[in-house]
Amino acid sequence: MATPLINAVAPPPKKKTPDLHALHYKLVINLYRVFAVTILYLVLAGILAYAFVMGFYAINSSWAAPLILSSVDEKSLDFRVKLVTSQQTIEDVKVDAQKMQSGIAEMTKHRAALLELETPLKEAIVREQAHNKANGPQLAALDTQKQADNAKTQQVLAQLKEVESNIHKDLAAGLITKGDAATQLSALNQAQGAYTDSKIAEVLLTDSILQKTTTGTDSLEVLEKQAELRSEAAQLDVAIHIAQKELYEDNRQIDRLRDAIQTAKQSPYYLNAAGGKQLYFAFVPYDNQASAVAGSAIYDCYLNMLVCRKVGTVTQAFPGEEAAIHPIFKTNIRGFLIQMNLDHPESAKSKTVFLDRKPLLF
Amino acid sequence: MAPILLWLVMVLCLLISVVKYIMGIILKVAFPSTKIKKDYSYQPRVSVLMPCFNEGKTVYETIESISKSKYPSDRFEVIAQDDCSVDDSYEWMLKAQRDFTNIRIRTGKNAVNSGKARTVCNALELSNAEVIISIDSDCIFHEDAITELTACFSEPRVGSVGGRVGVRNPNDSVITAIQAVIYYSAFQLYKVPENWTRSVCCISGCLFAIRRDLLSEIEPAIRARHWFGIPVNQGEDRFLTHQTLLRGYGTYINNDALCWTTVPNNISVLFKQQLRWRRSIVRDFFYTLRTLPQHVWKLHPNTVFTLVLTPLGAIVAFLVVLTMLSSDPLAWAGPLPLVGALGIGAVLTWVIKKYSSREALANPLAFGAYVAWSMVSSLLLTPLALCTMDSADWGTRTKEEPEVPLGNTAH
Repeated sequence: MATPLINAVAPPPKKKTPDLHALHYKLVINLYRVFAVTILYLVLAGILAYAFVMGFYAINSSWAAPLILSSVDEKSLDFRVKLVTSQQTIEDVKVDAQKMQSGIAEMTKHRAALLELETPLKEAIVREQAHNKANGPQLAALDTQKQADNAKTQQVLAQLKEVESNIHKDLAAGLITKGDAATQLSALNQAQGAYTDSKIAEVLLTDSILQKTTTGTDSLEVLEKQAELRSEAAQLDVAIHIAQKELYEDNRQIDRLRDAIQTAKQSPYYLNAAGGKQLYFAFVPYDNQASAVAGSAIYDCYLNMLVCRKVGTVTQAFPGEEAAIHPIFKTNIRGFLIQMNLDHPESAKSKTVFLDRKPLLF
Repeated sequence: MAPILLWLVMVLCLLISVVKYIMGIILKVAFPSTKIKKDYSYQPRVSVLMPCFNEGKTVYETIESISKSKYPSDRFEVIAQDDCSVDDSYEWMLKAQRDFTNIRIRTGKNAVNSGKARTVCNALELSNAEVIISIDSDCIFHEDAITELTACFSEPRVGSVGGRVGVRNPNDSVITAIQAVIYYSAFQLYKVPENWTRSVCCISGCLFAIRRDLLSEIEPAIRARHWFGIPVNQGEDRFLTHQTLLRGYGTYINNDALCWTTVPNNISVLFKQQLRWRRSIVRDFFYTLRTLPQHVWKLHPNTVFTLVLTPLGAIVAFLVVLTMLSSDPLAWAGPLPLVGALGIGAVLTWVIKKYSSREALANPLAFGAYVAWSMVSSLLLTPLALCTMDSADWGTRTKEEPEVPLGNTAH
């Protein structure tokens, strides 16, 4: 068009003919100049606006970046899962604590019952010991007497063999009838039996004396029982103590989990996950913290800074730290989230909103 | 899709540039055949055309440097053509004509201000030499410059030969230091692969030698250059080089032919100069696109790639900077570009000091500022150039008279 083609030579100017080329060129040039001037002013305006926006956001300390949390937001879902898990854990620990409490009550009861047995047992032992102490010597005297009696009876029984022989002789001689002989022999056997019984009684008496005058196995058994009773009571003490400690820990865990849930309930992600209605949040960098107070007005502006209108108020500021990308400078920044109560929900889609005051007086 | 395409073109442009620099090093070190075979016994008649506009005393210094040339004085002349300077440039020309009698100096003056390209054409009318050397009137020339340039014409298919342009004032400011590094690396590395295929895409107008016949063939096209009726008087060096290539001739830069120019030392003048150059690049790009089939058919692929990708890279760089500013502005604050520029600057500063002590930089860290300049140039120059294609203003020199039809007055 402008630059001649290869090997082209400029044609000689035709002076007298109507210069259509010149008109065409003039038209093109005028259009181009209008276009170029417009573009250049647009570029200039763009550069100035860009520089202004950069400067504005570098010094402004009241902006916040709205964000819409979806109910299927990853953090919200994660929060929800953790919350459910924590609540389930609380229920489990509560059941454990109740079991533990019942166990402790049962063990305490059992321990009390055992301790109740100890006193009568002690008294019985003392009473028996006193009784033995009194009866032992008497039985020993009776035993001596019994031994003497038995010795005499034995001497008498030695003579009975001769009597028995005489009975047989008398029977053989026909001095006595068979019936008489049988009656007489039976009487002899009875006397022998009586002697045997008496010996048995003597032995038994000796045993009794032994039991009452020395510490016998029965006594030892009783003492063993007493020791067992005491040991069982001590074991119950230990078990009750451990169970009480575990119960205390369970209760503490429950308290801690409840605290954690309470804290979690103050998180925007919990509110977002648990709440049925749409909630609005915004990220506030730490530099703008002073403007993010509950009750502060929220302004939404055209072109991110001009002609602002009040669109709501700050409901609450959440304590947890959040990281975000600066909406203008695209750098990583630290800050926190606030909940917004918006009268105009579409403002939640704005790039930035302003807290507490309009950024440019209008 | 569009961003991917954008990045692809950007990467391609960058790759081509990086590859050209690396190839430059390899060719310089390992392939002596890259250099043209010079025949110093070939001594054609030479006319040194020196268009001049508002250069003042500098024009005298320029002629003085040419007068010291070792080229046989009976084989060359200087034709100094004033383009209606409003200062005392013409008086300085006449003084040089009186003072340097060892060479033939002719002076002329345009009837009206005509721009550099047409002033060269006007000066050409006074010449009958076989080789024409067009120079800038603010440069100082090495005594071997003419000899070195003409020696390259021994290769018959070489149509145009350029010299290396060094910076006279590298330590005036950070801006001149940056330009010194860029000039040096451009001539010593970037253009070497183009030299290899004898297809340099732009020979600097500071020192531009061309066969007389070829220039005469192109002259009408130079005079006819216009943009929708508005005469184009900028970028004649790029245009001449391009036309040389399209006519089947080779182009070459002889780095042994030296001249020294005073580069802009403040941002305003530099910006105007770069804007003028960018306009030439854009204009050349449009021309290349319009006649792309002819380019593909006639020129070496190396040339076509350079002609297309250099301006395309400038356009894409603008879009990339715009995208980065709007999406991640502080990415520019990262240390990598600065570290890269400082590293390149340090290496090139050392190389310059070793091989061209006259251009040695006082502060090797000055090149770090190139990062800021590259952003400004990428962001502003291309759109400004695109929106001021109708400008006939040279930009860096005051001009008080309007452009009117051409004329010539010889002395």
